[in-house]
Amino acid sequence: MKLRRNIYAKENMTGYLFILPQMLVFLLFLVYPIIEGIRLSMYRINYQSETFVGFDNYLTLISDPVFFKALFNTVIFVVFIVILTVGFALFVASAIFDKNARYVSFIRGSYYIPVMVSMVVMSMVWSFLLNPANGLISYFARDMGLGTVNLLGNPKTVMPVIIFVTFATNVGQAIILYIAAMIGVPKDLFEAAEVDGASRWQVILKILIPSVKPTTVYITIINIIAVLKIFVVIQLLTGGGPNNASVTLMYYLYNNAFKYNQLGVASAVGVIMFIITLLLSVPQLKSMLQEK
Amino acid sequence: MFKKRLLMTTVALMVIVSMIAGCSGNNTAGNGAASSNAGKGGKEKVEITAWLTPQWKGVLDASEQGADYDSFLKYAAKKFATQYDKYDASVKVEVIAGDQRDQLLNVNLSSNTPPDVFFESVFPMGDYVHRGALVPLTDIVDDEAKKDIDQSFWDAVTFGKDVYFYPFQHNPGTLVYNADMFRAAGLEKFVGDENEIKTWTMDEYQQILDGLKNNLPKDKYANAYPMALYAVNNQGDTWNLAYLRMFGNKFFSSEGNIVLDDANGAKAAAWLKKLYDSGYTNPGAESVSSNDANAMFQNQQLGISFTNPILFSNMKTNMENGTSPKFDVRLANIPSESGDPLSFTYVVGASVFQSGNAKKVEVAKDFVKFFSTDPELVKSSKNGIPVRSSVAEELKGENPLFAAYDANSKYLFNFTGNVPGYSQLREVLYPELQALYLGQKTPEQMVKDYQTNGNKVIEQNKAGSVIYNK
Repeated sequence: MKLRRNIYAKENMTGYLFILPQMLVFLLFLVYPIIEGIRLSMYRINYQSETFVGFDNYLTLISDPVFFKALFNTVIFVVFIVILTVGFALFVASAIFDKNARYVSFIRGSYYIPVMVSMVVMSMVWSFLLNPANGLISYFARDMGLGTVNLLGNPKTVMPVIIFVTFATNVGQAIILYIAAMIGVPKDLFEAAEVDGASRWQVILKILIPSVKPTTVYITIINIIAVLKIFVVIQLLTGGGPNNASVTLMYYLYNNAFKYNQLGVASAVGVIMFIITLLLSVPQLKSMLQEK
Repeated sequence: MFKKRLLMTTVALMVIVSMIAGCSGNNTAGNGAASSNAGKGGKEKVEITAWLTPQWKGVLDASEQGADYDSFLKYAAKKFATQYDKYDASVKVEVIAGDQRDQLLNVNLSSNTPPDVFFESVFPMGDYVHRGALVPLTDIVDDEAKKDIDQSFWDAVTFGKDVYFYPFQHNPGTLVYNADMFRAAGLEKFVGDENEIKTWTMDEYQQILDGLKNNLPKDKYANAYPMALYAVNNQGDTWNLAYLRMFGNKFFSSEGNIVLDDANGAKAAAWLKKLYDSGYTNPGAESVSSNDANAMFQNQQLGISFTNPILFSNMKTNMENGTSPKFDVRLANIPSESGDPLSFTYVVGASVFQSGNAKKVEVAKDFVKFFSTDPELVKSSKNGIPVRSSVAEELKGENPLFAAYDANSKYLFNFTGNVPGYSQLREVLYPELQALYLGQKTPEQMVKDYQTNGNKVIEQNKAGSVIYNK
């Protein structure tokens, strides 16, 4: 009995030794920054010293209306971009997954091109189109006598524009995943549906969407996390403006850390974002694990 | 078999761990470790980095072959390395975008890899003095330099008791106007001489704006606007700050707090809003940068814009090179209700960051002293306005505007107020201007909120300032 336990322990030890490098990397680059971020969120930091200030940085955040604006905007971005991405990707994938392979590849490739292009480049292209001083859209609008078109300078239009730009850039990834998942759905289900005389709409609703539920959960989680970190498009297109109308938590964190040198406050924002991500992801992960 | 596998696994792990240890071993040394090994002539090799934001192109002039923003410092570095005998020194020069300065510096300061030398306008760099990131340069300033450079420039670079920047040149901010456009709109009488910085009264300025708005021939100047307004970010915000002083507001109290929230401050904000709403400016000011405005002016889409001697000189060079349309371009002062023009200047000079490596700091200070005093190199300050009387005197024949800028110096106001956290303070202004232009805040509310938020920033930074807490 003892001998068997020893062999078992030794075999396990080999396994643990194999995952040790990954664990070290995980602890060093993921766990340690999180702990350090939590620690820094309780300090006031300048180049020469760190002073413990308790929860002062969190109080500073609570008393700053821009923080709440950033929180609100981030939630709006997450809700709209995730719904749009999942909805549109489902629509495209379910429309083409059973078509000719070449056609599927063409559609897949077309939607995936913007994903491959850097977000910085995409933002610069959109900036070139939307800039009210010398942008192409403004130029044509003026030329056609429509007056000044300033979509990024209007608090009512700036959010929809950024939502659209981000959605258009990211949706290719979700389409690829959905097509792959839909191709994997057993063919006999579709044959049975055909025998039963189900319409295409019924097939999508009753067979396809429930069959790709794990993919939907995965895409939702990945997009929530990605959109929570939305930054480049804000930095390059609006700078959080006009009058903080498009500021997000990540941009607010960046401003505090690298423009205002308030590293403690920035760390506090990071901790809050970490908690929000955790809260949003845990129920989804839980449902995914339960199903397994 | 099992033992062999365990042994191999352990060896593999040791290799990985030692690699990680090897990678992280130098971290604490930061910048310091890279420099110490034998170099030319048996002297110790010391490599420093020098950053600059785009100042002027070429060593002496933008018309030189292959002229670029780093030409001057690269030339100075080469000359410095040739004559320097303490170490085998080399200087790596990098140009960074002005609007990325704080982000890049803060990232590098956080990771303990700041540049050794930074050549830049002094006004946004004061924060780094307050934060203890710069080393004093008092010991490299000699009596000869003190005599040659006016005390007002030394005052601008002195924090507490020490000098932190070696003044090189200065760039007075003015307006720039398209004289051809003025003539086309029947505004000849307001055009100044070629080498004059024209001063208009507020009434005259309004007449000019009216003329440019109503009388400009549309076939020649399609989609052109009388003047530039921009507020998407902190670029060119000094002109916005000047506009807010137009009706006599003092802006800073003697204690270093903002005092914009009075009748004069609100009047200035209302004036800006009125100009914007009445179509006297480019549209979309809330999402236009000063770079955009500058490009619009060079494309003859604006009658009046902002400039400084470097931008002005680059603009003229672009016209001569044929890279932008050629037109008659002249200078004017920012008008004020009192009749006296509003004048400000950016002192430009080099600073040395505290890298934690004594040899690098020593070489960096020697390099700064070298190019700030070398008789040949200081002549490059003619690209802006030289801070050295000797250089201004020697080159006055070459640039007739030197005298015009000098005449303006009696109207200079200190736009930073020398307050700690000035860079952060800049981030407070443009969202307020955006709110004003969008009509989300009244002029009264805008100046009140700017004062409240700005003073919060100043107070916060006073608490962390090494100068205030010595």
